[in-house]
Amino acid sequence: MEGKRITRLIGLSVLLFGMLFTAVPGFAADYSKTLAKWTRQQTFREPGAIGPLEMKVTYYSAEYVQALIETEAEKNLWTKDEKENYTYQLLKTLNMDEMIPIHVEFRNYGPSMHMAPFDEQVEIWIGRKKFKPVDYDKRFNFRLQGDRDGMIYFPRYDEKGKPLLEGVSSVKLSFNSGIHMYIRGSSVDFIWDVHKDKPESLYAGRAASRLELDRLIKRIEKLNAEKRDLENKLNELNNELSSVNKRVDELQKQ
Amino acid sequence: MKKILALVAVIALVAFAAPAFAAANPFMDVPMNHWAYDAIGQLAARGVLSGYPDGTYKGNQPMTRYEVASAVARALAVVDMTKASKQDVEMLKKLVVEFKDELDALGVKVDKIDSRVAVLEEGVGGWKISGSFRMDWKWADQTAGTYAQDGDEDLTMRQPSNYLQLVKRIDDKVSYRARLRRMDGNRNIEWAENFITVKFPDLWDTTMKFGRSDSIVWENGLYHDSLGDDAWFLDDRIEGIVLDKNFAMGNFSALWGHYDDANGGVGEATWYGARVRFNFNEQFNMGLNALIKDYDNNPEFDNPVVGLLPFEKWQTYWFDFGVNFNQNVALRGMYAMNKYDIAGGTPVWMDDSPNAYKIIVDVKQDALKFTSLWLEYAKLDAFFATHINGLSYAEQAAGNPKPATLIDKPWRPFEMKYWMIAAEQKWNDKWATFQRYLDVDYDTAIGDLFDHTNWLFGVRYMYTSALQFELMYDKIEADNVNYSDHMIRFRTSISF
Repeated sequence: MEGKRITRLIGLSVLLFGMLFTAVPGFAADYSKTLAKWTRQQTFREPGAIGPLEMKVTYYSAEYVQALIETEAEKNLWTKDEKENYTYQLLKTLNMDEMIPIHVEFRNYGPSMHMAPFDEQVEIWIGRKKFKPVDYDKRFNFRLQGDRDGMIYFPRYDEKGKPLLEGVSSVKLSFNSGIHMYIRGSSVDFIWDVHKDKPESLYAGRAASRLELDRLIKRIEKLNAEKRDLENKLNELNNELSSVNKRVDELQKQ
Repeated sequence: MKKILALVAVIALVAFAAPAFAAANPFMDVPMNHWAYDAIGQLAARGVLSGYPDGTYKGNQPMTRYEVASAVARALAVVDMTKASKQDVEMLKKLVVEFKDELDALGVKVDKIDSRVAVLEEGVGGWKISGSFRMDWKWADQTAGTYAQDGDEDLTMRQPSNYLQLVKRIDDKVSYRARLRRMDGNRNIEWAENFITVKFPDLWDTTMKFGRSDSIVWENGLYHDSLGDDAWFLDDRIEGIVLDKNFAMGNFSALWGHYDDANGGVGEATWYGARVRFNFNEQFNMGLNALIKDYDNNPEFDNPVVGLLPFEKWQTYWFDFGVNFNQNVALRGMYAMNKYDIAGGTPVWMDDSPNAYKIIVDVKQDALKFTSLWLEYAKLDAFFATHINGLSYAEQAAGNPKPATLIDKPWRPFEMKYWMIAAEQKWNDKWATFQRYLDVDYDTAIGDLFDHTNWLFGVRYMYTSALQFELMYDKIEADNVNYSDHMIRFRTSISF
């Protein structure tokens, strides 16, 4: 009886593994593999509960965005110009030149979630530093039961303008475990190896030049504002200096 | 994703079309580069404005202020506030302010917008209440077998577990959470959880929980919670302090607390433990855990074979790991060691340092397309015990045989091992099916008497996000003695 059961188990396992390895190559098709590569999913369910909480998060890496563009271009038979325009608009909308966009999708079929203020529930670890969202979909602040998705934006540069992702191998997005009754543990973590990203193809071509131009114009505006501030301060100092000198002259004449 | 693309499409349309059309018709007083076009387009793309008439809002040429005001007025009449974010509402308000004179002239009353905003804003601050209620109808084969709770009934209606959770954010560092639970076993209502969470940004950026907590688990990914399994260790009610520290590629947790036994203090113990988890990258992770249960009164585990075992201390140490081959296929495992301190010394027949391990292959449905797959194999030395009393999805009657029975008994004098194969098929957003096969073997001639298998099949229907139904068949069958029982259960779950 023991031998029969072991044979049965081994047979079943071989069958299931066979299914697994025959099915995996079928999954590797065109851009879907790249899109899936940057998407993470976790499901939580309290023992005995029927409806789960599913969290699906997508890191908008350059490779992901590129795959997104290629998918749309293929679907719509775009010309090169149309594709360039779409790339530019998409990158502008996602604010990719300043922020790290992450798409979050909640599918909550359990007790309702109350995450307000949402930016206290999520953080990203880049290198040894953690960052709060710069912006996020404000609908996450309201009671959530059912489906809701939206973007969260994290900073891409530090205060001095240095890219935060430079030299970083992985980033971790952490949600507070208190966002749902079903989550047990200290936090819900999603990790991406960002050093595997391939930004070369996305940040080449006319769209990238237009984006860089936009960024440089913004930078010029910022530098001009700083320059004006400094000039104002310099003027103030000059005025104060001249008044002090004047007073010194007056005192010396007495 | 569709929303983002739609938004991009609308913005692209406006951005590219603007100069050409504005130049074509310079006499309109709302040029194409006016922010109102963008605002209306964005609200439409998000589904907030559904069905505004394109006869008025043409979207591809400049309009007069009255035309735009008319579009806004019609939009306000059909605005779907359930889809509106606070930003969207602000955008609508801005549009209303911009075109107030024209709207007034058109006779549109905009006061209702403010009251709708107020309703949305109620979601922020105050007490947050959520919870769930479950009801079961069960048909069991044996009147006093594995599944029948009341001995003389083979059909029962039960409320297995009801929760009511209250959460209050006190300030940006302090929050309070309480959870009331009604258990079917003793039909009492109790505080399953009752604690405050405090963030200490200046104390190594730690977070601490003070109070009663019932949701601490350090084995995430190492048990199949979808089919009712639970962590081998912890997940007990503890009153004390839990410390969490998140760091770049991992986290650290520590706990100190007391387990208060309602049954005369026999099982009361002080708990202390620590865990550190490292995520080396997106593929590899590893955890080291230590958990010590120091008994107050040396409880005597009643061993039916050899008598009483007065426990002083129960220590558990385990190592776990995970390898993600890709987003859909993972290999995980743990290796654990128990160490028992027994008053008067360890009996000669007992191993006070037994070990156990389990290994899991987890394949998500995206990989196989039609089903997910969970394969689990575990082997536990004689005397190795966990904190769970079985691997069951269906609740079983106390004291009766259940899947992986004796898994929680430190006096179990024989090795046990089990195989589990679980699969779930999500057919669409509404329907899902699931199956599980569990085969449990106990070593030695005496142990063979406990060998059994467990079959499970079920269907889930998500009627709404708040109301779901589940129909399930569960069967347990002894391998070497004449015993089997099965049950059909219909469960309704309502959450809010």
